[in-house]
Amino acid sequence: MKKVLVACGAGIATSTIVCNRVENLLKENGIEAEVIQCKISEVATRQDDADLIVSTTILPTQYKIPAIIATAYITGINMEALDQKIIDHLK
Amino acid sequence: MSLYEFIREDLIKVNLTVDNQDQLFETLFIEAYQRGYVKKEYLQKLKEREAVFPTGLSMGEYSVAIPHTDPEFIINPFIAVATLEKPVAFHLMEDKSKQTEVNMILMLGLNEPHSQLKMLQEIMTLIQDKSKIEQLLKAQTPIEVQEILKKIEAHN
Repeated sequence: MKKVLVACGAGIATSTIVCNRVENLLKENGIEAEVIQCKISEVATRQDDADLIVSTTILPTQYKIPAIIATAYITGINMEALDQKIIDHLK
Repeated sequence: MSLYEFIREDLIKVNLTVDNQDQLFETLFIEAYQRGYVKKEYLQKLKEREAVFPTGLSMGEYSVAIPHTDPEFIINPFIAVATLEKPVAFHLMEDKSKQTEVNMILMLGLNEPHSQLKMLQEIMTLIQDKSKIEQLLKAQTPIEVQEILKKIEAHN
């Protein structure tokens, strides 16, 4: 099963929104994946068994796995394009 | 719990005058700290987090900011609301190299992310709703702000 890390700065506010959105998105598209909410500072040590990083905040470093900035889910601007980008990465 | 249940009348500042982000944070912190919503370390942690992971959000025609920090510095969960007399610069959440002028602030004091999903979704609904933000910016009293926020419902 694929694994998605959903991260924000504090791991408490915006990642909660994005986590919910990504979980629903994957369900609707029949993609089985585990969605894990965390702080961006935890991503570096948790990326090894994950497939994708979805972050609402800036990425403080380079990661081994693909990372997508998901602020669109907070501002509501271009959300559909972001949905597609995430689906494409997990197919 | 809904957004409205996190709003505290004593943490609503209407037409606040501050010169910069530090002053804004200090003003809101003092209100929250004196009333026992946050621990003493909150201010420093809030500033540190904003410097590394900024919370400015540009909606195109307007901008808002949602400063917040780690849950361990919150005693009683709250949302503080401030409208500013003149805007303050915030860096963008997704790109620290860019700034936006913000006059609508929602300072989040959250300690349980998952149980607070509904409230967070309502915040997102609110910040995406230009007419609601305009109403809030026009409000002249904390009571008016509360009345506007009472009517927010998440569309998700």
